[in-house]
Order: sequence, then structure tokens, then C-alpha cells
Amino acid sequence: MPHQCVKCGKLYPAGCEELLKGCGCSGRFFFFVKDEAVEQAKEVTENLTKVEKNQIESDVLDIVGDKFEDKPVILDFESIKIKKPGKYELDLVDLFKGRPIVYKLQEGKYVIDIISSFAAKNLDKEVE
Amino acid sequence: MIDKLKIFFNKFFAKVFRKKKHVKIGLYGPPNAGKTSLANRICQDWLGEEINMGTVSEIPHETREIQVKEKINIKKKGKEISFNLIDTPGIATKIDYEEFTAFKMNKKKAKERAKEATKGVIEAIKWLDNMDTVVVVLDSTKNPYSQVNITIIGNLAARDIPVLIVANKVDLKKSNMKKIEAAFPQYPIVGVSALKGNNVDEFYEELIKTV
Repeated sequence: MPHQCVKCGKLYPAGCEELLKGCGCSGRFFFFVKDEAVEQAKEVTENLTKVEKNQIESDVLDIVGDKFEDKPVILDFESIKIKKPGKYELDLVDLFKGRPIVYKLQEGKYVIDIISSFAAKNLDKEVE
Repeated sequence: MIDKLKIFFNKFFAKVFRKKKHVKIGLYGPPNAGKTSLANRICQDWLGEEINMGTVSEIPHETREIQVKEKINIKKKGKEISFNLIDTPGIATKIDYEEFTAFKMNKKKAKERAKEATKGVIEAIKWLDNMDTVVVVLDSTKNPYSQVNITIIGNLAARDIPVLIVANKVDLKKSNMKKIEAAFPQYPIVGVSALKGNNVDEFYEELIKTV
């Protein structure tokens, strides 16, 4: 499954070192894209200006309620497609399934779904 | 499989040990169906006239964060329920800031609203597993066979969460209750006007039955 650097558009396979350290172009934000959607993702990133890419990056972080810190962040391009800042398409079936939307890799082994941990925190605080 | 087992045991123990007063009722549905209007109606009827759960607007995605109102008691025909009410952001497949600029909102604000609305959809879905009962609020003037409605109701059935469908806006001419009933024949459905208060007594009776 390819991962695309949103900043420069370069594709990386799963398990690649760049996904842990960041892209050679200094990008730390990737789309996780299915093979069949690679062309669509390329089209999206090619049509974005630098300002728009930065905006999308910061919007995604805001949506997931997290900071970049030093680890790259990967957005599942199937669950949430962001074609331009302020334009979102959501795959409800995927979201209801509880599939990770945005995640980080740590030590090359663990996938952490940022939103799940974020939502659980909220529930503990407000409902229980 | 493990997840399914977990859900089963959680539900089993929840049913055995749950104190009735901590029942959580969630209001779910597409944007602009009237979830917050219904929440406000419930609060005004049972907590006091001045109490509101959130602001209501003709611009979609007005509620972008989960709102919780605790300890609401409803009594009807000698039966009583006590619950926490959870009003959720509207669930949509597409959120476009241009939808908001059409209401003369400036671009910057509209983009911010789109981002918050997206966050709200994700949050609403993540909260679903914590609900004991869900009231699905639909706009009875609109086509019920939408992807949003069918996905929400299908997922509630899969999770075995009791559902009551509220067909809102029955005071409007375009309202079509028969179409809603034909779309979801296996669920209890009540037609109301949350704004004007039409038929809310029947809604409360059905809610008690569903919980």
C-alpha cells in the first residue's frame, strides 16, 4: 500500500523508513492511499498550492486533536478525502467500522490511531 | 471477532449492572434535521423553560461538538425514565465550505466551520458505542433513502442499540410521513415538530417504550 508525501507527492511503500522519520523534502504528512486511488491522490496533491498543503496539514492535526511533535502523521485518504482546504468527503462506512483515520507509526511496530485515544479521553471525562 | 465479543460482554454486563438513571440517549441524524431543536424541546419540557441544549440555525452543521445534558426525568402514563441526553453533530458524507458561504459567511469562517463539522462527524461516530438508546432525527420533508440515514440506522442495528426514529418538521407542507414509514418499516417512528411542539407527547411515550 503506497503512502504519498503531501508536500512533494513522492510515494513510499508501507514499512518504509521515511514514514517514521519524514520525507526527504522535510514533509511529515502523508496520505495513505490504496493502489487503485494513487492517480486520484496524485491529482489532488498536484492541484494544491504550497499554502493549501500547509493549511490541509494543520487542519488535519486540528481535526485529530494532536500535534505533529517529531513523528510524521498519516491520513487515510479513503476515510477522509480533502481535496482543498474546507472541502471534505467522508466514507461513513469506513468511519463506522472504526478503521483508523489518522495514525502515527512508532518504532516501526505500532500503529496508533490518534482519534480513538482522543475520543476515549473525552468519554471518560464527560459521560462516565 | 474479539471486538464483537467485547461489545457483547459490555452490553451484557451493562444490562445486568446498569443503573437506570445512567441510561445514555443519543440524538443522531443528518445536519439540519432538528436534533438540537428536539434536544431543546426535551430540556424545556422537563428541565425548565429557560434551559437550552444548543443554538439552532438554518445554516447546516451548527452543532459541531457533542453536547451532554445530565439527569433528565420523563414521566408519562405512570412510567418514568431518567437519562443523560447526548446531542451530536450532524453526520454527512460531504462537507464543503461553499455550502456556508452561500449563507453569506466569509470564506475563512466557512472553512473553519467545515473543518469543525468534519471533526464533529468523526466524534459523533466514535461516541455511538456508548449509547444505550439512539433517537434518529430525520427531516420528514426530505428523501429518507439517503446514504447517511441508511448507514446510521444499519450500524445501530448491527450494534444492537435500540432505535426510535423521529420524523421532524411535520408542520411543513412538504412533510411526507408515509415515505419515512415505508423506508424504515421495522422501526418505531414518531412524526413531530420539535420547533412548534406538535405531537411531542407521543414522542415521549415512544421514548419510554424504546428505552
